[in-house]
Amino acid sequence: MVRKLFLTLAAAASAIAIAGAAWGDITILVPSGSEGDGLRAAAADYSKMKGAKVEAVQAPYANVFEQGANAGATKSGVFDIILMDDPWIPFFAENGHLEDLTVFFKNAGMEGPDSDFLSKSLAVCRNPYNTGPYVCLPYVGNAQMFFYDAAKYKEAGVEAPKTWDDVLNASRKLTEGGGGRYFGYVFRGGQGNPVVADFMPIFWSYGADLFNADRTKVTIDTSEGATAMKTFMALRDVSPKGVESYNANEVGTALAAGAAASSINWPNWVATFEDPSQSKMVGKISYSPIPAGTKPGSSEIGHWTMGIMAASKNKQEAFDFMVWATSPEQIKISATRGNPPVRASVFTDPELTSQEQFRHYPVLMEAIQASTPRPRHPKWPEIENAFGIELSKAVAGTITPEEALKNAQAAVEQITGLK
Amino acid sequence: MLKSEKETLAAQLRPGGGLERWAERHLRFLMLAPTVLILLGLTIFPSLYMFYAAVHKISPNPDLPWEFVGADNFARLLSDAQFHVALWNTTVFTVVAVTTEFLLGLGLALLLDKFIRRLTFLKTVLMVPMMLPPVAVAITWKLIYEPQFGVLNEIMYRLGLPLQAWAGDVNLAMFSIIVADVWQWTPFIFLLMLAGLASLPVEPYEAAALDGASSWRQFWDLTLPFLKPVIAIALLLRVMDALRLFDLVFILTGGGPADRTKVLSLYIYQVAYRFADPGYAAAISLFVLFVTIVLSTWFMKRMRLAE
Repeated sequence: MVRKLFLTLAAAASAIAIAGAAWGDITILVPSGSEGDGLRAAAADYSKMKGAKVEAVQAPYANVFEQGANAGATKSGVFDIILMDDPWIPFFAENGHLEDLTVFFKNAGMEGPDSDFLSKSLAVCRNPYNTGPYVCLPYVGNAQMFFYDAAKYKEAGVEAPKTWDDVLNASRKLTEGGGGRYFGYVFRGGQGNPVVADFMPIFWSYGADLFNADRTKVTIDTSEGATAMKTFMALRDVSPKGVESYNANEVGTALAAGAAASSINWPNWVATFEDPSQSKMVGKISYSPIPAGTKPGSSEIGHWTMGIMAASKNKQEAFDFMVWATSPEQIKISATRGNPPVRASVFTDPELTSQEQFRHYPVLMEAIQASTPRPRHPKWPEIENAFGIELSKAVAGTITPEEALKNAQAAVEQITGLK
Repeated sequence: MLKSEKETLAAQLRPGGGLERWAERHLRFLMLAPTVLILLGLTIFPSLYMFYAAVHKISPNPDLPWEFVGADNFARLLSDAQFHVALWNTTVFTVVAVTTEFLLGLGLALLLDKFIRRLTFLKTVLMVPMMLPPVAVAITWKLIYEPQFGVLNEIMYRLGLPLQAWAGDVNLAMFSIIVADVWQWTPFIFLLMLAGLASLPVEPYEAAALDGASSWRQFWDLTLPFLKPVIAIALLLRVMDALRLFDLVFILTGGGPADRTKVLSLYIYQVAYRFADPGYAAAISLFVLFVTIVLSTWFMKRMRLAE
């Protein structure tokens, strides 16, 4: 009796599995947090609408890269789509983990993504940057903005900070008057990605960059780099003690708790700052583009993009899902779920812009259009790590800013083989 | 023909008799075979695979073949500054953390040995930290150390003491990690020592007391020599575990600030998964394995001598 029951159940399970495979199930690898939550919700909507199974597997930020790289290296085909942070694109594309989307667009009678997408959002999805074929579609329009408490800045004599000098002037006064419990500025000083992400906009604002224009030379240790580093160290001096270990959570919490007046941050924090259950600063934070140094300010772009894994067995289904999920209607729904859009029509949609929670959209759209991508290099994780170690040492004061630039130059030259 | 000879002949002539005899003769090997196969699959194969990987350059591109590089990955260990930093930090952590845990654990066991046998509740409470998942311990300490809103700095502030960055300060980061580790693993040493003390014979102590030996003398000449095998096991297990430290560092500091808490396990993880260089990561792992084997052998020898 038990044996018969077992056999019947096994047969039923096999039938369901076979039928499931025939539906072309899609598995998507997504990060934890609002970006992954948004796409997971979209996947559930798509499943209901199409009757197909779309599963979103969530993992912490760093693990998405690792799992994607493992799946690509082993050609496992376990994931059909990966939601990638844009600096990972060269690694995935140049190691053959991503599918070129040209053929799919052609088969669908499309020349490529439509012109409603912001040009900078599309540029990151091509490999090489802005010139190569599309290997992904943009989904979350992240680019850094400058967040500040306008009332506190006004108290410190700065109406609206336009330059890093304005930020420093206001921050010095606020920190001096804060009695060790309130600070004018706060940043991510944690070793690796955090400190690099918060330094790059300042680096660019002073005309510095990691490589020269044609990517043949490492250009970290320059006079422009030194000026940027001087500003960064001055900002460290007006930031809370312990900023050397800060990541996004600590910076966001400091601002939301009203313990710091300003920072560079990502737009998904807006929802937290405007949520009375999580923030003391509802309606009090102002958003602006990155301040200027000796050159106009430029945000670091950090889009989340969807690409098809080369080993996927459901490529057409994956492409169809990606086109649907990045349509104007779905990007608008994604925006209401807390993810910044990548389409001009959604950024300017009066239904959204009339709401308080989307008041930062004009600034964010401007920030994306004025953004700079992190250097497009397949060894970017290693470059970022090496640069991050030296920046961390400078922030911690174990080496001088000049030594940090010199060491970073040598380390990146060694990694890339460039001089 | 004798009766036994007839039986032997009959057994040999029986169908399958030869196979049965063979099976009987090799029964111990047959019984061990499943275990050996599982061991080969789970332990030996991955180890051999690691050796194989360590002598190759492995591209993240699956279409490129593995390139044999001989001992190059091992030679890199000599010139890799980040590896040297990680090795130094791991050594500092292992020596300081394990020594502190041992001294505290032994001290507590000696102090509480007499009455803790009746206080099982206290024993249970002391066991709680080591029963917690390392990730939960790391997150708890991250909240304690948080410079602006953490409980530790709140206490410092209320006492009028200068606030510290703890895990974010170059001079305090490693100390902060050691404190968290000591909090979690001292109870482990304590329980082992307590078990060791409970098994000590009474007679030598009675004789020593009759001879007028002081408590210190009794501890030095009796307790410590009797406890040597337990101490060796406790230290061996803790050293092996300390060499693999990952969770606390990954969550509390990420290896920073200024590389002050980068340990070998974290570096292996970065090389393998962030820099996509599994061949070199395998070479570093083999180095750690070699160190662990050398230390274990030394401890085991000491233990045998003590016995």
